Amino acid sequence: MSEGVMAVVKPEMKSYIWLQTADGSIQQVEEEVAMFCPMICREILQTGMGSSKNYAISLPQRVNPAVLGLILDYCRFHQVPGRSNKERKTFDEKFIRMDTKKLCELTSAADSLQLKPLVDLTSRALARIIEGKTPEEIRETFHLPDDLTEEEKLEPLRNITDDPRIRLLNRLYARKRKELKDREKLKNVEVEEERVDQRSVDDLLTFINGGNGDSKGVKTNKNKKKNRRRKDPTKDSSNSVNGSHNKELEALSSTFQDESRPSSSSNLQDCASLEFDDGDVDDDLDPAMKEQLDREVEDFARRLNSDWPERMQEILSLGQERRLAPINMNGNGSARRYTSLDRR
Amino acid sequence: MGDELERDLISNLPQSIIESILTCLPIGDAIRTSYLSRKWRYKWTTLTHLVFDEKCVTQCGDQALIGKGLINFITRALFLHQGPIHKFQVCTSYLQSCPDIDQWILFLSRNGIKELVLELGEDGEWFRVPSCLFNCEKLTRVDLFRCELDPPPSFKGFLCLKSLNLYQVLVAPDAIESLISSCPLLETLSLSYFDSLALNICAPNLKYLYLEGEFKDISLDNTPLLVDLSVALYMTDENAEHSEQSSNCNFLKFLGGIPRLERLIGHIYFTKYLSIGKDPGVLPITYNHLKIIELYQVSFEDMKETLVVLRLITNSPNLKELQLSGSSLTSVESPDLDFWEKEGASDCTFHKLKVVKMTDMSGLPHEMEFIRFLLRKSPVLEIMSITPCVFVTMEARLIIVTELLSFTRASPKAGLVFIQD
Repeated sequence: MSEGVMAVVKPEMKSYIWLQTADGSIQQVEEEVAMFCPMICREILQTGMGSSKNYAISLPQRVNPAVLGLILDYCRFHQVPGRSNKERKTFDEKFIRMDTKKLCELTSAADSLQLKPLVDLTSRALARIIEGKTPEEIRETFHLPDDLTEEEKLEPLRNITDDPRIRLLNRLYARKRKELKDREKLKNVEVEEERVDQRSVDDLLTFINGGNGDSKGVKTNKNKKKNRRRKDPTKDSSNSVNGSHNKELEALSSTFQDESRPSSSSNLQDCASLEFDDGDVDDDLDPAMKEQLDREVEDFARRLNSDWPERMQEILSLGQERRLAPINMNGNGSARRYTSLDRR
Repeated sequence: MGDELERDLISNLPQSIIESILTCLPIGDAIRTSYLSRKWRYKWTTLTHLVFDEKCVTQCGDQALIGKGLINFITRALFLHQGPIHKFQVCTSYLQSCPDIDQWILFLSRNGIKELVLELGEDGEWFRVPSCLFNCEKLTRVDLFRCELDPPPSFKGFLCLKSLNLYQVLVAPDAIESLISSCPLLETLSLSYFDSLALNICAPNLKYLYLEGEFKDISLDNTPLLVDLSVALYMTDENAEHSEQSSNCNFLKFLGGIPRLERLIGHIYFTKYLSIGKDPGVLPITYNHLKIIELYQVSFEDMKETLVVLRLITNSPNLKELQLSGSSLTSVESPDLDFWEKEGASDCTFHKLKVVKMTDMSGLPHEMEFIRFLLRKSPVLEIMSITPCVFVTMEARLIIVTELLSFTRASPKAGLVFIQD
């Protein structure tokens, strides 16, 4: 507390500071209590405000009257210099007992007033609430929306960046998967003895590119090619196929990685708040990018044999696992899937 | 959508608060928050403090499986992490040396690591710290347990290092010396379990020194700011012989250059080590700030050791607390009690000494004389507590107590406490 600037406090007459919260209500508080908050202290010293009702100090928006009351209680206790550490700790433990909503508001308000000891105290309390709980319990406690897709949940840490193109690709995979499954049911199965396809990705891409440019065209091509390339599921070439698949996947994955890196950091914040719908997906990309994605999805589609859905899952996860597998803690789903694919 | 945002209590707090919350959580729980919702997916990835142990992975009984799982966990976490990493700590007995750890350190060296704590298991080969560690220019703290350290010849030192803790680390002796002297900001140094180390410590900013192990020869060449010293010295017989033959004075080599010392703790052979060499005579140094002295395994029957203790306490005018623990050897020679006559006649007084604890006392003549000496020379003493060694019989204890009661006390407030277990 500064001694030179403020008036001498006589024992009978206390000095008060006037504070105004965002909703307009004004209250007065003892000077030494208010000065315990760095932000208020600075306001008083720099602007001279707060000495009367008309010149009340405006508090940040996050501080509502109820929370202000709590903060002032905290300051009132801790600004007394003579207290022992044990006393302070006991007070803190009692003080922090409140419902979660209030605790979050208190944290936010304390942060805006730059009252670091209180921010630390509330942060630790929030951490204690989170610790040891399942995700469902945490969502329940903090009213968090359960807005990750099923796919994202199963492999929640698959992507390094939240690039919309990668997320789009995931959604496209899911869509293509569904479409192909439908088509399977419609078409006859042509059992064709096909040898393992050893061509490189580039060859295949140029082959695809020889068809039409737009998405519809690509789709029709895919149908024909899929039938030609259909393999007998019982054929014993799965290992070598997988081997070459992995390499291709890796190559493709790494190209994605390279593309996404430049924009990753800037997009991260934006992506976090965007909501993607399957229907909206096409609108957000330029056609060239979308084509390329379509081609690559189609490439996968062609090169796989008929047990498409499971194999797609495997390939997806294998390709991702090469770079990063989900941390094995999300329950049995992930663990079960990966044990069969563990190639180490 | 708007409703969801309003109901959500926590996701909109500033990132700095979210990070301080996540830092309070065990790392497994912190990473698990990525599963909560879209906004939380990557909130953990910018944490700057990463602390790992075997609790991060599921506990099955199998040691190898846990070790492997932990390696995967840490590798994936590092890979997903974004931004600088200031603290990285791995403390587990389930991990032995493996190539993945090298890669972690390489990764950390590229991400501005400041504090590194590495404590690995005891079995198998000890981890050989890769040379990329020596490229980490921002390091302020390094704690290594059971590793092998080999600084490259071009290594110029950690210019920001403040704390160095090496526990059971294999490193060449001259490498340690040059490592210490090349870290100009070093304040805390801790060396444990070294074999036959001869060390000259040159660290102008050193404040806290902790040594434990078999040291052949220690001299504090340049540590003028040292405040806290704690030493546990194991000495083999050959070390003792080697020291006997030198004409140095161990006392001065060790304690001669630390006038700012505030706390001194000496275990095991410390006083014996100090007693070797020439008798320093009148000390050239006064420990004006020394307030607490704790010395263990002091063999009072060895005159030289008793002398060391006396020199220390008589040159510490502001000493407040003294704790001495005897070494339970039986008296061999006939004690030289004239010595105590002379000391008793000297005019030294312990003006600030308030608390004295004598433990493991066997009632040896020199021990008793020492206590008598202290009682006579401590005008503000409040507590003198005496704990006998477990081997002392009841009769012997009675004799000790009787003798104690006969001592005159300079301090009217002095309370004599005889502690029986």
